[in-house]
Amino acid sequence: MLQLDGVCKRFGDKLVADRLSLQLAKGEVLALLGPSGGGKSTMLKMIAGLEPVDSGRMLFDGQDLAAVPVEQRGFALMFQDFALFPHLDVLGNVCFGLRERGLARPAAQQQARTCLQQLGLAGMETRKVWTLSGGEQQRVALARALVTAPRLLLLDEPFSSLDADLRRQLQLEFRQQLQRQRMPAILVTHDREEAFALADRVAVLKDGRIVQCASPAQLLAAPATPWLARFIGYENVLEEGVVPEQALCLGADQPLAQVQRIIQLADGVRVTVASRDGELTLTLSARELARYGANLQVGGTLAVGIDRSAMLRYAAA
Amino acid sequence: MTARRRTLALALLPLAFLLLMSILPLLRLLQEGQGQFSVGLLADSYLQWRIVWSLLQAAASCVAALLVGLPLAWCLARYQFPGRRLALRLLMLPFVMPTLVAGMGVLALFGPQGLLGINLQDTPWLLLYGNLFFNLPLVIRAACEGLSLIPASRIAAARTLGATPWRVFWRVEWPAVRPWLWSALCLVFLYCFSGFGLALLLGGQRYATVEVEIYQLVAYELNLADAGALAVLMLLVTGLMATLYAWLERSLAAPLKVDPLPPRPPQGAQWLQLLAALAVLLLFGGLPLLAVLWKAAQALWLLGPDMLADEDVRLALFNSARFSALAVLLAAGLGCLHALAARTSLALRALAFLPFIVSPVCLAFGLLLLYPQWTASLALLLATYALLAYPFVARSLAGALDSLPPHWPQAARSLGASPLRTFTRVLWPLLQPAFRRGLAFAAATALGEFAVTLFLSRPEWLTLTTLIYQRLGRPGPDNAALAMLLSAVLMLLALLAFVAIEWPSAAERPLKKES
Repeated sequence: MLQLDGVCKRFGDKLVADRLSLQLAKGEVLALLGPSGGGKSTMLKMIAGLEPVDSGRMLFDGQDLAAVPVEQRGFALMFQDFALFPHLDVLGNVCFGLRERGLARPAAQQQARTCLQQLGLAGMETRKVWTLSGGEQQRVALARALVTAPRLLLLDEPFSSLDADLRRQLQLEFRQQLQRQRMPAILVTHDREEAFALADRVAVLKDGRIVQCASPAQLLAAPATPWLARFIGYENVLEEGVVPEQALCLGADQPLAQVQRIIQLADGVRVTVASRDGELTLTLSARELARYGANLQVGGTLAVGIDRSAMLRYAAA
Repeated sequence: MTARRRTLALALLPLAFLLLMSILPLLRLLQEGQGQFSVGLLADSYLQWRIVWSLLQAAASCVAALLVGLPLAWCLARYQFPGRRLALRLLMLPFVMPTLVAGMGVLALFGPQGLLGINLQDTPWLLLYGNLFFNLPLVIRAACEGLSLIPASRIAAARTLGATPWRVFWRVEWPAVRPWLWSALCLVFLYCFSGFGLALLLGGQRYATVEVEIYQLVAYELNLADAGALAVLMLLVTGLMATLYAWLERSLAAPLKVDPLPPRPPQGAQWLQLLAALAVLLLFGGLPLLAVLWKAAQALWLLGPDMLADEDVRLALFNSARFSALAVLLAAGLGCLHALAARTSLALRALAFLPFIVSPVCLAFGLLLLYPQWTASLALLLATYALLAYPFVARSLAGALDSLPPHWPQAARSLGASPLRTFTRVLWPLLQPAFRRGLAFAAATALGEFAVTLFLSRPEWLTLTTLIYQRLGRPGPDNAALAMLLSAVLMLLALLAFVAIEWPSAAERPLKKES
């Protein structure tokens, strides 16, 4: 469906897209994950047509998008701040896109009502948008985007302004919505859990380049680079590979390492030690603590080794 | 001392001043006019035309300012081009430009010996053109402000939902800008309706306004009865518009922090759009001033600099400098007190607007009626200057005080600064730019003051403005040339004030925002 071919974009002397290429399959949800300021939002705007591309090609279903203006692309973009129109009520907001596509008012309202109902917003039609809670605003923005049946849904940090509980609940609903409609979507986020929870594939962006693009499971099993491994949450990242918890061995036959830091947890401790291979952080359950670290203290020692066969090797980027 | 008491103590002086110098005179005027007010007066076809024309020209100016100003504002807000910041700054220029200078500029272009060769004297167009010179920037600034408060994401959302740029304007930008425009148009109507200088210079016999009529009735015909009745009418209409303005202003959304759409370089045909917009802006905003400069240079070339050595000119320069300096001093004191008092009182804040909206002619007339024994006293003239000038200082300072986070002085105190040191090391450096700006506005107001001066002045108090008007009324090319030359001098002085106002200080030089 969507295909990006060597897309470049720079702002002044800052490269936000450096020969970016990627493909989106039918009905696929792709997350663009990366640190803040890494050019993710710019990517989304370029796909939407809001930001011109310096060089490279973008195709959708084989059609070159370069000459297609924003309003004719049929990609709905959902913003971090939701960008609801304050001078229109909920129904007016949801109708907006339908009216722009030439639908008569009664038909547009009919469709909008149905869509609001599906999203659990029935009865809110005449509410002013600024009286809505964050979650309601998010749903209205989603309804406004979905009701036009876009060819592609673009989401810019759509959950980041919500609190943690609400975020999880809405993410779940959102995932179900997308699967039901089989709608392709690109999601921009800096939150790795969000990306892993929602996306079929995750593209990790750094300095305008895609470091790796794979399914969450593949990404976790074989991260492409040490930086990426750290970025997606691994703590023990060595030159030769990632050391997951299960690759760390305890016991008297293991080499001794000096304890650097100890953080108490509810059911154990989190210990950082200086080993031969560098700093390692591991979590000891209360049971393990009793067995291996009877008098664990900063400056003391702990016997820790690495099972090299259980290490994760870096995938060729 | 409680906060309330402190407010009262600070406000005492400015309040007494406002009462004596504007509220009581206006009440006296109402009293005078009420007795004379009769329906018969309105039946007089001559006065009927004056009233109808006054309303008509104000309304026409509003419509023209909206139709011309909105597209201009859109271009200025959305297109990035070299000199954009300067253009936006120059929009402040009319606020300090004396009406007399603008009037002379319009005459220099379209008057009897106009540079453009079209004589529009005794047509309504002169006054309308002059009105647009002053009020178009007002509308443009308001619209730009409104446009800059629309988050970029809102516009982008509309675009991705299928709206073309034109539809985005109609369905997203226009609804957001509308309230800003209405309140600006209210002011435009108010200024055009109660403007005096332009109407006196440009209206001629047929297209003069009620304000001019009041002046002529008082000064030439000593017909205080009819003048009073007309003044009541003026106060009624201006009062209504001011109330409407205050009401509209309240509904303007408090500016939240938004990421506005950054202006973009125009592409292709958009360049034509932008160039056309800038040309129109130059036509209405710049041409009259350039015409004054051109004609003044011509006059200087023809007559030589000797004519500036004229006795009258020296007197006028001396008086203008003296009066303005004194008025600015008074305004500084009153403005500071008012700003400090207005920190906690909304009513006081609103009162600072009073001198802005009341027509100077009505004010001067009321002062004449209330204090007949002081009509020939310099103190009254200076006090009136101060009245018209001090709200600029008060408003500017009040704005700066508002934007000052309370924890800055608190931090200074906790770091060991005494209250006095806190003031000199933290508060004053932060307030100083606003203070300077207020003073420059006050100086420009006093320098360019014309209406009140004409009412209250005596021959030996000749100022630049009255001298220009005097010479304009005398026959002969020498007099016309001198009037033009002096207008140029006045304009340069106003430009000085403008530079002082708009020159960014180190403390508030805007940080460059990354895209």
